Amino acid sequence: MNATGIPLKEPSVSAAAGATEQLERAYIDASTRVPVLMFYTSAMAWLILGTLLAGFVSFKLHAPDLLSNISFLTWGRMRPAHMNVMVYGWASMAGIGTAIWLMARLCRTVLRYPLLLVAAAGFWNLGVLLGVGGIVLGDSTGYQWLEFPGYAAIILFVAYTLVASWAVLMFRYRRGEQIYITQWYLLGAFLWFPWLYAAGQLMLFVVPVQGVLQSAVGWWYANNLLFLWFGAIALGTAYYMIPKVIGRPVYSYHLATIGFWSYALFSSWTGMQRLVDGPFPAWMITASIAAVILTMIPVATVGLNHHMTMQGYFPLMRYSPTLRFTVFGAMSYTVFSVVGLLISLRSVARYVSFTQASIAYSHLGLYAFFTMTIFGAMYYIVPRLIGREWRYASLIKLHFWASAYGIGLMTLMLLAGGFLQGADMENPTLPFSETVETVLPYLRGRSLAGILLTVSHFIFAYHFGLMLLGLGRTSTVPTFLNPVEAEEASGGH
Amino acid sequence: MNEEPKEPARTGQGMDYGEQADVQQVHAAVQREKREPRVGAEPLSIWLIAIYGLAIFFGGAYLGRYSGNFIGGGLDPLGAPPPAKRAVAGPGGGEQAAELSPHDRGKKVFSANCQTCHQANGQGVAGQYPPLAGSEFTNGGSRRMGMIVLKGLQGPVTVKGQQYGTAVMQPWDKTLTDKQIADVMTYERSEWGNSASSVTPEQIAALRKELASHAESFTEHDILAAPDEDIPGGGAAPKPGEAAKPGAPPKPGEAPKP
Amino acid sequence: MKGLAPLFLGIFGTFAFSWVGLTVLPNWQIGHLNPQSDEEGTDIYPQPQSGMFERGARVYAANGCIYCHSQQVRADYAADDIERGWGNRRSAPRDYIFERPVFLGKMRMGQDIANIGARAPAEQASPAASGAAPATASSPATAAAASPATSPGSSPPAGAPSPGPKTGLASPSPAAANAMPGGATSASAGPQTAGPPWPIQTIGEPPMYSAAWHHVHLYSPRSINFDSNMPAYRFLYKKRRISDARSADALKLTGSDAPPEGWEVIPSYDAKCLVAYLMALNQSHPLKEAKSAGGAPPAAGSPAAPPSPAAAGSPAPAK
Repeated sequence: MNATGIPLKEPSVSAAAGATEQLERAYIDASTRVPVLMFYTSAMAWLILGTLLAGFVSFKLHAPDLLSNISFLTWGRMRPAHMNVMVYGWASMAGIGTAIWLMARLCRTVLRYPLLLVAAAGFWNLGVLLGVGGIVLGDSTGYQWLEFPGYAAIILFVAYTLVASWAVLMFRYRRGEQIYITQWYLLGAFLWFPWLYAAGQLMLFVVPVQGVLQSAVGWWYANNLLFLWFGAIALGTAYYMIPKVIGRPVYSYHLATIGFWSYALFSSWTGMQRLVDGPFPAWMITASIAAVILTMIPVATVGLNHHMTMQGYFPLMRYSPTLRFTVFGAMSYTVFSVVGLLISLRSVARYVSFTQASIAYSHLGLYAFFTMTIFGAMYYIVPRLIGREWRYASLIKLHFWASAYGIGLMTLMLLAGGFLQGADMENPTLPFSETVETVLPYLRGRSLAGILLTVSHFIFAYHFGLMLLGLGRTSTVPTFLNPVEAEEASGGH
Repeated sequence: MNEEPKEPARTGQGMDYGEQADVQQVHAAVQREKREPRVGAEPLSIWLIAIYGLAIFFGGAYLGRYSGNFIGGGLDPLGAPPPAKRAVAGPGGGEQAAELSPHDRGKKVFSANCQTCHQANGQGVAGQYPPLAGSEFTNGGSRRMGMIVLKGLQGPVTVKGQQYGTAVMQPWDKTLTDKQIADVMTYERSEWGNSASSVTPEQIAALRKELASHAESFTEHDILAAPDEDIPGGGAAPKPGEAAKPGAPPKPGEAPKP
Repeated sequence: MKGLAPLFLGIFGTFAFSWVGLTVLPNWQIGHLNPQSDEEGTDIYPQPQSGMFERGARVYAANGCIYCHSQQVRADYAADDIERGWGNRRSAPRDYIFERPVFLGKMRMGQDIANIGARAPAEQASPAASGAAPATASSPATAAAASPATSPGSSPPAGAPSPGPKTGLASPSPAAANAMPGGATSASAGPQTAGPPWPIQTIGEPPMYSAAWHHVHLYSPRSINFDSNMPAYRFLYKKRRISDARSADALKLTGSDAPPEGWEVIPSYDAKCLVAYLMALNQSHPLKEAKSAGGAPPAAGSPAAPPSPAAAGSPAPAK
């Protein structure tokens, strides 16, 4: 069905959208249905697998004899399996799914060439499956965040080129003059990721760099993946969801511009601080630490922008799961960045290097910031694709609080445990096993947090499954909003 | 548009998205949506600019302070001053990838080759190996010393009033390069209280050419027959006692050791 | 933003800036390092390893050892790694030029193992690859295993079987600095208060950080250190009936780990390669750009008893 012939009506002054706009959006949503749901469903499956692996890995740290002696269940293979499933299975696919929908909406054109995306989803799943299987069977490359053996990496790359081609084509057909903020971030993400992935693979596997540079390239890749791929998608999503849900414009265009460019410029230079005090020329490390200090610019800018947009509308979080998750994610971006700054400074890094604190940092970025924002996006997008509302408000609330408490507890446990572990390591009179003893109770606490997160994800998966089966609520009002209040609230939700 | 909820015939079983989306059935979610997001144009707050300034200042300061001179060998963030300055300050092992001084290189050569006989303290072994510390050959002109090192010495020799003669010193012209010989001589001539001029590889090369026709080792007689002078040529630093030229490379005997 | 072109340019430019600055530039600076050698072209460090070492590195990568163990020693101004006895000097880029993949590591749930081969007992110390290293580096282990009270300064020439005069003489001052008080801190693998070895271990057998020890440690970490949370890698080992005589490779297991009467546990080829890899991890060879045991220049010039076999008890040259 071709919607390009629909004439555009001038946008009305009121907050509610005009009828034509609604129609346009309905068509767009309908066209994105299959590709986005394919990505989302795959992502959910990987999320469940990754969560189970995470629990296993967490428990094994304080109960090392749990199911040990079996080669494919050994901790050293389960841990990269968990990480890669989460990074390339859950996060990337959920991010791509969200980006597809956002691009279609913002380009204001129906999704074209859906087969490209369907194929991409299929290939991506295959790549992740082969990669994780390879790791579990002993083919891990040994590079962190790039453990997928070559045969899986190439499939991922092929899948990605399909996505990228689609994005370029969509962009070509866009309507409207302005390129909205979200589109900057998404375009950035879609362009940065293949360069990043290709550079990483080239410099580590095809034309390998010498010695310690492999580590530098590896962490440059990992860090840029976190910021320029995941972070960009999450920030772009937040820039759409927050103003969209509350019906107000983003506070300031200037802040958004400065925020985007400073983010791109400075975040891409971080990464080497993870190698502080290692066998590297000091300037590399210091440049990254200086870049981390400078990332306070985009953090402050984006934070202020969102905050001022939301000003006076925070109570709406009661009624919108999207808003809850997205605001949580956006705030976590600030927390994540500040924690990152603190643990990067050399005087502090002395105590937290080589400890669990860096795990806390990674999870703050990938979960508290990225995943929570994507959860919010999924809560918004899925009803529009399925034509049903989420069935149980209680499950949504449970999901939110379990996730929030889960990641909060995990961060606290790992940061505290990490600092104590580092302090012990810095005390040469203590035998090394003391450091392990010190951190063990915090690892148990982290397992507890893991249980919370597992519960949360199973709930969400169940709820999502219900939606897929068409068992969502048929209703005109969203699940959260009290129908009585819907009458009173003007312009509703 | 259609304000009613969906038709009751739809029981909720089976999947929605096989069907053609019916224009009439724009679902409620899209209907109640707000407009697509727009952007406002509030100006920048002065406080934000202050934060930018602070970030740039601290970031820049950190970068300047801890960058180990931005060189590849600068592993220490509080890197030492650039190599050029340090070479003048005195010989010493390179903290960064700076070259070792002739003195230190010579010490390595000495330890690898000469130490077994002449001992690490340059005292030699009584009756067997002559000392180098305080020796007239070591402290005299570099020609005689160079001849001994290049071609070796056999037969009795008197050093510092003592006689030595049971051992034979091997020739080093085939084993060591000009640079190594020059360095080890420089080291010996500035170590253990010795203070004599340093020796350059060019001087050794010249001496080597001179002695090219001389096949066997020297005897004391041959050595004493040669003039007690420094080998001509090369940029040897002035002997001690003469004023050091400002800016001249450090004289091994005078520059303070770390 | 109206224009697509500036957007694309900016997206490309910011990324290119980072790529050039953090990967290309360092590649110019330290991406083509050569091993260090002295003037005669001997005493080359590091040397590329092959064979079992390479395969062992692959086993290391495949089993995720990097997620708990690091292989980098930090400088003494940055951390207390050297005080802990994990090395006698900080790691430098040149140490890793032949490693692929490089296992710098980001986590220490287990000890740093950059120099674990250097901590092996003297007889099993890794050969030529580390040049002067075994003679001096093994002294900590022998001193530690034998009698912690032995003064490290005198033991190297006397006790350690040096692989040849070359090791003693080739690089005297840094090597001697190892044996010196600067090295004393590494010799004790920690200050004199706690004394090595800390982990609770079966009495002396097998000697700590020897190949046999590694096998037992991999097979059953908690038999060596009760508090360890390292996973057991029993799948790298095989249990079989003793044919005529006990195999020389058989693991010396005790307690509940020991196989029943008539059976023995032997390492698979992968396990042997992994242990060969671990035994070759040795960064104690001195490097010009990384001062030994103390970051200040004086270390290079510090007087030391030269480990020369011919030195008839001669004192150090006055400096």
